[in-house]
Amino acid sequence: MQNLLLLLAGYIFYAWADFRFLSYLVGISLLNFYLGMYIEKTTNATAKKWLLYAGLLQGIGGLMYFKYFNFFISSFKSAFQSLGINLNVHTLNIIIPLGISFFTFRTISYVIEIYKEKITASRDWVVFFTYVSFFPCILSGPIDRPQKLIPQLEKERVFNNSQATDGLRQILWGLFKKIVIADNCASFTNNVFDNFHTIPASALLIGAFFYTIQLYADFSGYTDMAIGIARLIGFNITRNFNYPFYSQNIAEYWRKWHMSLTSWLTDYVFTPLSIALRDYGKAGIIIAIIINFTICGIWHGANWTYVLFGFLHGCYFIPIILRGTLNKKKRIVKGQLLPSPVEFVNMVATFLLVMFTLVIFRSESIGQAFQYFGSMFSMSIFTVPSLSIFDIHGSKVIIIAFFIFLMLIAEWLQREKEYGLQISNVKRSFLRWGIYYGLIVLILVFIDKQETFIYLQF
Amino acid sequence: MANTEILKKVNDIFIDILDNEEINLNDNTTADDIEEWDSLSHIQLVVAIEKYFKIRFTSKEIQSWGNVGDMLATIEAKLKSA
Repeated sequence: MQNLLLLLAGYIFYAWADFRFLSYLVGISLLNFYLGMYIEKTTNATAKKWLLYAGLLQGIGGLMYFKYFNFFISSFKSAFQSLGINLNVHTLNIIIPLGISFFTFRTISYVIEIYKEKITASRDWVVFFTYVSFFPCILSGPIDRPQKLIPQLEKERVFNNSQATDGLRQILWGLFKKIVIADNCASFTNNVFDNFHTIPASALLIGAFFYTIQLYADFSGYTDMAIGIARLIGFNITRNFNYPFYSQNIAEYWRKWHMSLTSWLTDYVFTPLSIALRDYGKAGIIIAIIINFTICGIWHGANWTYVLFGFLHGCYFIPIILRGTLNKKKRIVKGQLLPSPVEFVNMVATFLLVMFTLVIFRSESIGQAFQYFGSMFSMSIFTVPSLSIFDIHGSKVIIIAFFIFLMLIAEWLQREKEYGLQISNVKRSFLRWGIYYGLIVLILVFIDKQETFIYLQF
Repeated sequence: MANTEILKKVNDIFIDILDNEEINLNDNTTADDIEEWDSLSHIQLVVAIEKYFKIRFTSKEIQSWGNVGDMLATIEAKLKSA
């Protein structure tokens, strides 16, 4: 059957990437499969609740252990050390299973939705196991909800030419963003972040800008490929990006960046929190948002930089919540060629807010991030950096900047489409094919650099 | 209160909180239909409704609503039992 093939392919793919944790993946799939059925069958309300807790404990517990145990130990240790006490606790040699942050969120969503009686438990283990380990998405998402993916798995997929073509186009676009833009940006953001004490402030600013673009191109590029591959095999995966850099405020940004994670957190963290705190008015909403985004930050990994990153984003919402203008969406008019000056300023301001937090996100430690900022906000910001400090050919920086510009313009013009290269409406086929071949050539030119996906580590 | 009256009052609350005069709710309206209705404004709507009707929802009830009709049904039930 189609699903069995898909499941086996998925497991081979996962094992090839990291065979040690295949057993963990299969194990938690089995556990949650049975938990789902028991939660549904049990009529006793207390028993139901405890079964749900078991599922949550397994998921969150697994994440805590694999991702955060060492972080807790070393943070604990240094906290006591600052008081002069030396604890005899040791970090363990823990390796993180690939994709754990993503597939754990799928299983948690599954048990919660069954508990809420929003879906029925799957009776087909092949369907369920495939839902958990769906190979295009297993490494770095998008995080599909069960109600979106399981019904698709239960139906037979028939090859659809236009859907497959769409998938191929999206894969091509993703490859372009990843190989031509993200990897090239990486070659000098790595240099900038590794050597920031010796680099003039203007270069640090450019480094921060390029890193922000790099993160977007890398992650949205990967996502386009994942969604494209899924399309090829007949699946409709949830979207993850909606051109976030054209957002006019931070609320809009998070509705358009890593959408499947934001929506997951909104449903399972923010909503219950905001309901519980609703008697405290705006303060309640603010606290809920800050907790929500701090968790979002921590989800990325075991480092205080991620905690600060998330916390800052939560704080960015405060003016919006206080002003009460969060209900007024400043939408950019459809089909408008250029943004208005106000809209443009808003977009730049939002971008800068994000860019600031990404320096922290990228840094090895908070201390380092602040050193970066210290160096950046200094007089050398007016020094024009010599391109040799970027350790690569001067002309290459210009070329990369050109491609970034190209990508931004292309995605701006295509912002009502699902992905940047959705050009099926372009009538002249030679024009479409010209663009495809152009992109392929570019990809082949730059493909020698092999950088892993940034979000693989989360 | 009759169901249509409840709907009218809820509609007024939506217009007030979401600052949009054109809102016209029916039983099948969901957050997807109204631009200003998102997770941030949702909780403000809930609080305003609780205040107006002097009722209290449980978290489970709030999270169970799929559309305005569900919301109205819960409001009606609360008012009846009050």
